[in-house]
Amino acid sequence: MEQDKVRKYEEFVDRRLKPDLVHAIAQRDKVFEQQKVFSDLRRNIENLEKNSVTSMRTMVNLGSEIYMQADVPDTRHIFLDVGLGFHVEFTWSEALNFIAAREEKLSSQIEEYTRLIASIKAQIKMVCEGIRELLQLPVSEMEPKYY
Amino acid sequence: MEKKGTVTQLSSIYPAEETQKASRRVQDAIAEREQQLNQLKAFIDDNTSIMNLVQKLPDETHHNIMVPFGKAAFFPGRLIHTNELTVLLGEGYYAERTSKQTAEILKRRGKALEAQVESLKAIMQDLKAEASFFDVTADESAEGLVEIREDYVEEASGTLPAAGHTKSENTPFVEVGDKKGAYEDEEYIRLLARMAELEKEEEEAAKGDVSNENEQIQNEPNSTSGQITTDEEVGSLSVEASEMPAVSKEVSSHGDYPALNNSMMNTSLEQPREKKEVQAPPTANKTAFTGSIVERAHDIRTNMPEQQIGTRSSKPVSRFKMQRK
Repeated sequence: MEQDKVRKYEEFVDRRLKPDLVHAIAQRDKVFEQQKVFSDLRRNIENLEKNSVTSMRTMVNLGSEIYMQADVPDTRHIFLDVGLGFHVEFTWSEALNFIAAREEKLSSQIEEYTRLIASIKAQIKMVCEGIRELLQLPVSEMEPKYY
Repeated sequence: MEKKGTVTQLSSIYPAEETQKASRRVQDAIAEREQQLNQLKAFIDDNTSIMNLVQKLPDETHHNIMVPFGKAAFFPGRLIHTNELTVLLGEGYYAERTSKQTAEILKRRGKALEAQVESLKAIMQDLKAEASFFDVTADESAEGLVEIREDYVEEASGTLPAAGHTKSENTPFVEVGDKKGAYEDEEYIRLLARMAELEKEEEEAAKGDVSNENEQIQNEPNSTSGQITTDEEVGSLSVEASEMPAVSKEVSSHGDYPALNNSMMNTSLEQPREKKEVQAPPTANKTAFTGSIVERAHDIRTNMPEQQIGTRSSKPVSRFKMQRK
């Protein structure tokens, strides 16, 4: 009976909570990546602005790490990915505004995921405590280190 | 009849469950390889498409494109210097190549990828064979197949593979004896015929019908003893003819007998002859049979055909042994 319960709890931790946790962490990492992309972009645009670069040469990756030179005659108009495959043409200042809004959104998403991760971790810990009580083990002996 | 072998339930050695587990593991490995293969194929596709692109680009002096700026932004722009490509060679080294040269590089990369695909396919084939083997074993053990294991017995082991030869060789053997005119006994011929019959039976019963084999072996003594009692010379000749090849070809199966044979030789043949004969190579077996070699020298013409015929025949050995008793 008790064994059954313990087994059920452990299964819940292993089959439900842990995968959830892994998934949440992966999601958060994705958002982190996005955040980095936009912060890089912001820095680059600010750089262009500061140096008032209106045309530039760059290398384009054609794939398989093969590069070819590309010429950008006018950098004042930039197309930004706004999601769902849409690209919007912005001027520098418009782009910076958009990026700021986007960054705010992303950081709130990150916060959300962080909270979610914390709550999953708390649940895991609680179930483990429950198992400990069921088995009547002394406190702190079963201190599972999950992450 | 004595018990000659053991019977083991196949499922006790390879439980169906375990075998299935093994099979599943191999299946997993196959799936993994399959993934690798798909990945490689994707690489190959990428490679060919980029090769087409690289070959097409120099057709124009420039191409209008969206130049990526970071991961989320683009500038409208154009490709220039379309015949100058910078190719990553690996380890952070880049080389500036023309379109043609780049195409060559890509072709070589494609070949390397093909080779990888080939080796991966070979590995997968091996794994599939393994998996099917496991499956078959699992099925067999589930069906309750048994494994019959029999100890390696000297006469039995000799006769089994050589059955075909001995059968056909026995008749000529008798004929040679007849030509010599040294021996003619109806009973002996009858017994030989019976032996041949039994051998045929044994052959038909094929692998490991123990009872048949035993019968046959028990029959042999009669024929040989009859032969030997009626005619000493033929007996010794037959011994010689058969022993010679036996020594050379079936060392392993007669390893136990040198001493016995030797002692017999001493009784049936004169000692001095044995001694004057050149000693055979130092193997226990061969030294034991020096006596028989003497005999051949003594009567070489008549024996020549017999030796050739008797090659690989192990039957006469047992006959010989029986005679000693």
